[in-house]
Amino acid sequence: MLKIENLQASIEDKEILKGINLEVKPGEVHAIMGPNGSGKSTLASVLAGREEYEVTGGSVSYMGKDLLEFAPEERAREGIFLAFQYPVEIPGVSTTNFLKTAVNQVRESKGLKPLDAVSFLKEMKEKMKLVDIDQALLSRALNEGFSGGEKKRNEIFQMAMLEPKLSILDETDSGLDIDALKIVADGVNKLKSKDNATIVVTHYQRLLDYIVPDFVHVLYKGKIVKSGDKNLALELEEKGYDWIKDEEGVEA
Amino acid sequence: MAELTLTDQFTTIFEAKTGSKEGLSDFQKGSFEAFNTLGLPHRKSEAYKYTQIARILEKNFSEVSVPLETSWDIAEIKERFYPVNEANHLVFINGVWKSDLSEIKSDANHLQISVISESELDLLGKVSNSSRDPFAQLNGAQFSGGLFFKAARNSDNIPTFIYHFLDAENTSISFPRILIDAETGSQTRVYEKTFVNGDAAALVIGMLESKVESNASVRFTKLQQYPKNVYAVEGIYASQDKDSRFHTNTFTFGGAVIRNNVVIDIDGENCEGHMNGLYVISGNTQVDNNTAVDHKQPHSFSNELYKGVIDENARGVFNGKIYVRPEAQKTNAFQSNNNIILSDSATVNTKPQLEIWADDVKCSHGCTTGQLDEDAIFYLRARGISKVRAKALMLTAFAVETLEEVKEELVKDEIESIILNKLG
Repeated sequence: MLKIENLQASIEDKEILKGINLEVKPGEVHAIMGPNGSGKSTLASVLAGREEYEVTGGSVSYMGKDLLEFAPEERAREGIFLAFQYPVEIPGVSTTNFLKTAVNQVRESKGLKPLDAVSFLKEMKEKMKLVDIDQALLSRALNEGFSGGEKKRNEIFQMAMLEPKLSILDETDSGLDIDALKIVADGVNKLKSKDNATIVVTHYQRLLDYIVPDFVHVLYKGKIVKSGDKNLALELEEKGYDWIKDEEGVEA
Repeated sequence: MAELTLTDQFTTIFEAKTGSKEGLSDFQKGSFEAFNTLGLPHRKSEAYKYTQIARILEKNFSEVSVPLETSWDIAEIKERFYPVNEANHLVFINGVWKSDLSEIKSDANHLQISVISESELDLLGKVSNSSRDPFAQLNGAQFSGGLFFKAARNSDNIPTFIYHFLDAENTSISFPRILIDAETGSQTRVYEKTFVNGDAAALVIGMLESKVESNASVRFTKLQQYPKNVYAVEGIYASQDKDSRFHTNTFTFGGAVIRNNVVIDIDGENCEGHMNGLYVISGNTQVDNNTAVDHKQPHSFSNELYKGVIDENARGVFNGKIYVRPEAQKTNAFQSNNNIILSDSATVNTKPQLEIWADDVKCSHGCTTGQLDEDAIFYLRARGISKVRAKALMLTAFAVETLEEVKEELVKDEIESIILNKLG
């Protein structure tokens, strides 16, 4: 589904990603872990198409196409979903109105007719249950004045509505208490299928207790320095990132 | 023949005026003298710093007159009415109120609608202090067929729509004048819009005065969807007695140069004064909103929100003054002006001005001018929304906030669709 080869990216001439290799197949869950500043969020942003980042080398192939050629909205329409670490507050635009626009633009790109108000509401009600989100929240301006937990739940709700093939969760656990974390993880798990894949970007292991990864990769200084199964996350939790830093230090 | 200055032309128009009753004619003479003393705002006038109004008008109105005939016919006029039966529909042609073309539903016991006459001399020009405003004085000198609107305590609260029809086949000028007397406990809702025929330069020197007596409420909404040949200097002067509410909403979507002067005197306790505005402009349009609220008594509240979206070579100017006098303790006064600039050649000048002499007050002001938030646009695009659509969503959301205070659904829908047309 996704094949990243030797991906290099920089922002304002500062090199952040220094050659990432990663392959994700349908049905898989990959966790990307790493200390602060290692490039985790940059990787998520580059995959979603944030224009401030300049790709300076390497390639990303998604469903056999050159992903880097696509604008952010085209990526979304092709099934890539980024759950933001910091969902943006947009005054005056209700979540409902925003999502209706998004869902229908995605449908239009596939040659489908827009959902009418009734079908859209029905769809929304169904997906609201997944993340236990309140109707009242959705009529409010998008993310404006939402608590941290509400924002993250809203991200997963949007994910449920857009039914992506590849979801990238960028630090979705940050700022969540354990109850909110469970709700969010539960939502993600319910959306999992053999046809879609998930990349979980996280600093801490605790989210991975609930969203169990098939693969864990450790990102450090812009490169994946270690890969393994879910036990690697536990090992990291126990030994801390200094362990990786020390190992890397020795190798260097 | 030597070219006449604009002031010379005003004199010609003034001297040609006939039919004014004696008492009124004294008022008009006095106003004309005041105008001549003040003169058009000069180049260094602080109040017109960003809009060189004298130069602009001199340049575009080398020969100007009040049209004597109209190309608008009755059927055309009635077609423009909002489809509301239970409403007063009042028609002005070239600044003159036409009772025969108007439809008045209100009972005369509830609402008196008549031409301004000498009986109103105790109010006319005296609602609040406009003695330093040359355009208010000019209007006072030149208007004819002004509208007097007096709402009684038991007013029926049906809406009043005012339609201005202008003839601009030749360079023209008009001086509409409206005087509202909202008596104690009355409710008034007035909506105003303008239609223009022809594409020669048209100048509107307009004046609205509103006396809001105790416990009365006046809501006034003005839609300025002018074509690009219209120049306008329009004043709204209000004064509020205790426990009263006054709302103005000004929506500007076009025109050549539009200057709005809004002045509210809060001369009673427990008043609420609101001034809202939106300007969504492009091309070479210039809109200058100049506002002032004067808190003269304690325990009142004023709120002001002006928003602008400025594209191409357009220019938005905002100047908001808040005065809080020493007696006006416990005043709450808020003001904000937010602008989004869409092109490199668009300009905004914004200037809040607070003068506070009382020490126990809550006042705040803020202005922002910027571009659309790139992070927000990316967020919307990351959900599959195109860049164009994302911008439109954000701009319309930004703009429609100013519609909250428009209570008449038809008008609200109309303005919303204009916004969507321009920004969507």
